[in-house]
Amino acid sequence: MDKAIIVDHLVKNFEVNVKEPGLTGAIRSLIKPLKKAVHALRGVSFSIQTGELVGFIGPNGAGKTTTLKTLSGLLFPTSGFVEVLEHDPWERKPEFLKQISLVMGQKNQLWWDLPAIETFELNKAIYEIPTREYEENLNELTTLLEIKKHVNTPVRKLSLGQRMRMELIASLLHKPKVLFLDEPTIGLDVVAQQKVRDFIYEYNKKYQATIILTSHNMDDLINLARRVIVIDEGKILFDGALEELVSRYAKEKIIKATLSSEDNIKDLDKIGKIKKLAFPEVVISVPRSATAVAAAELLQNFAVDDLTIEEVPIEDVIRKVFRGELRK
Amino acid sequence: MTIAKYIKIWWLMSRNSFSMVISQRLSFSVFLLGKVLRFSFFFAFLYFLLQGTKTLAGYTSSEAIFFFLVFNLIDVISQFLFREVYRFRPLIIKGDFDYVLVKPVNALFRVLMGGADVIDLITIPPLIFVAYYIGHSLSPTFAQSLGFWILFLNGLLIATAFHISVLALGIITTEVDHTVMIYRDLTSLGRFPTDIYKQPLQGFITYIIPVGIMITLPAKALMGLVAPAGIIAAVAIGIIALLASLKFWNFALTKYTSASS
Amino acid sequence: MNKYLSIFKISFQQEFAYKVSFVMWRFRNMIQIFVAFFLWDKIFENPGRIVFGYDRSKILTYVFAIIIVRALVLSARAADVAGDVAQGELSNYLIKPMNYFKYWFTRDMSSKILNISFAFFEFIILYLILRPPLFFQQNILIILAFLVSIVIAIMIYFYMLFIVSSVPFWAPELGWGSHFLVTIILIEFLSGALFPIDILPAGIGQVVMSLPFPYLIYFPVQVYLGNITGALLVKGLLISSIWLVILGISMKYVWSKGLKVYEGVGR
Repeated sequence: MDKAIIVDHLVKNFEVNVKEPGLTGAIRSLIKPLKKAVHALRGVSFSIQTGELVGFIGPNGAGKTTTLKTLSGLLFPTSGFVEVLEHDPWERKPEFLKQISLVMGQKNQLWWDLPAIETFELNKAIYEIPTREYEENLNELTTLLEIKKHVNTPVRKLSLGQRMRMELIASLLHKPKVLFLDEPTIGLDVVAQQKVRDFIYEYNKKYQATIILTSHNMDDLINLARRVIVIDEGKILFDGALEELVSRYAKEKIIKATLSSEDNIKDLDKIGKIKKLAFPEVVISVPRSATAVAAAELLQNFAVDDLTIEEVPIEDVIRKVFRGELRK
Repeated sequence: MTIAKYIKIWWLMSRNSFSMVISQRLSFSVFLLGKVLRFSFFFAFLYFLLQGTKTLAGYTSSEAIFFFLVFNLIDVISQFLFREVYRFRPLIIKGDFDYVLVKPVNALFRVLMGGADVIDLITIPPLIFVAYYIGHSLSPTFAQSLGFWILFLNGLLIATAFHISVLALGIITTEVDHTVMIYRDLTSLGRFPTDIYKQPLQGFITYIIPVGIMITLPAKALMGLVAPAGIIAAVAIGIIALLASLKFWNFALTKYTSASS
Repeated sequence: MNKYLSIFKISFQQEFAYKVSFVMWRFRNMIQIFVAFFLWDKIFENPGRIVFGYDRSKILTYVFAIIIVRALVLSARAADVAGDVAQGELSNYLIKPMNYFKYWFTRDMSSKILNISFAFFEFIILYLILRPPLFFQQNILIILAFLVSIVIAIMIYFYMLFIVSSVPFWAPELGWGSHFLVTIILIEFLSGALFPIDILPAGIGQVVMSLPFPYLIYFPVQVYLGNITGALLVKGLLISSIWLVILGISMKYVWSKGLKVYEGVGR
């Protein structure tokens, strides 16, 4: 299979002004501003196949968004190699831009005081979409996202969920082959989240579109991304299947047992860390390497009816990623 | 094909800003009133001033007024074309400029000319009429008129270069509103013929920030006060200014940091 | 009282936080002085010339006096009030145990002190560059009358800003438009910041002098220069005081009406 995206040793530094506190600080920064270099990306390398749907995860400020913006040609890389659909994104050639799209949950491309259809018409001209194709795509997208009846409502009168779906349509009218989604479900209610999620899934399958997704929403990642890339402090910590992330980083396993009597129940904490105890159910977390021993001990010393050993839930691992606890 | 595409995009964007402006009729009338008042007040001031002084820096009443009219024409036409510049700061602050960059349309075109100002569409025709009337009364020769037109277009070229530089500076510093206002203050020095300013200010605003070339010179050409060599030199400066501003814009793009979310 | 002292301090620091805005605003003031200075300098190139009753020294002193009077009268933060009203941020203040008008007046004062100290330096720098012949008033009584006229000017401007800023109560989209019309167009031309009002033909001049605008800049400057004395001085102080009262009452009235609308909309 061919590669849609290649990134090699990508580095991006920013220079920012540091604000000094107090009046004297303000006067000093007026004369000589204090500059600080921020290393947003410190040598990132990965590649993505055509048709893949990859999730980027990491704590805030890890470099996820910077990567997406470099891939879509907004940011000029400090050093390193980037290629998307065999183009250098920074050149922003029209034939490249016509094949990609960037959707940001917190930003807005629709004309605020006008109906969304006006923005669509403008994008039709900008992307030079033939009228027939435009009509078809618009029809399909509005149907899929169930928003047809609102296209003539001024954008400012739409709810956040409706607006986000309009943003998606505006970004997809030209049927991009590569799609960068930055927090597409942020701030949406549960129903709207699900609609957007289903849509992304469908779009990926139907058009073999390559999609990179960043999200702080657990459900987005678990439902959509088969492969995840964990970024923290500008470096890639993990790149692989979602399940592998769990077996690699979960240092514990979970033993769930059903007890038949309450004898010795106080001694349970000798086995491992008790997560939940509601007789007859008990959930204990034990170190991965000591799982077998712990299970045997449990069976020997307690009246056990039933026992299962499980992996730590994906959510717990991802939560750790967001907190930046994978670094060590 | 591409030109047709850009004309179409310009038309669509201008239509969009038109529908937004007329949806706020009250605001529209207040700004129109403000602009008309500003022009009339200044015109009246100039008129009364010249009633008392008879001449200004050696120019007659109608000549001095013609300088003022040329200033207004260039000012209003560039505001009409480049209105979008005034809306650039929110685009940068909120990061919506990202959406401009990822589209297959020249980003500079979009932020410079995306959306003409309808208010000025009302003020431009009478202004042209008055300027024509006063200019005609100065009875220029054909060559003088030609010189005026060349330098007038050159003035618009320099105005374009100014606006591009303001945008580029906006990307680097996220500061647009003040630089635009400073630009406008500096060009407003051209409301009077730049001859009134003493050196070194006069040299500064003629050559470094070419307000003199942009505004005073076209009017002078109409009065037959500019030699052909002067016209050529002025056009050269105009072209250099435009090229330099484009270079600056391209440099600024590499410094774009995109407001992080 | 302590409360407003804290506001004063924090407001002072706030101005520094927006140092770019501040420096730009001062710079723009300088440019306007340049335009006015050179215009009049050119007109009075011949030192013996007298036009509109001014000679070279008096007109250039007028221009230089504008630097100081502008900084004192026309630097104010209360223009931001319109934004507070339009965006509904006024509520944040209304629930606090302080007087909203005093709050902004305090902020205006801190703005004025900062601006006047900068204006003072600019005055010296411009003086060194341009070397105009200046006229210094020595009559204590006239200086006293000048100070009174400045206080009246500051209050008139404060009330004007608040009246203009109340427009968004009824029309939120007009916040900036109404300021544009009043503070940028009307005040710029009719206050005397660009040219002395008495160059206008007598009839028009009289109409303008019956408006509140010339009492912001033109009147205080003329009092300082000793061009308005005796009966004319008393008349001017009287007219401006009447305007002060009218504007003060109107502001209170407009705001009590506006706040009802504001609460009604529940912004």
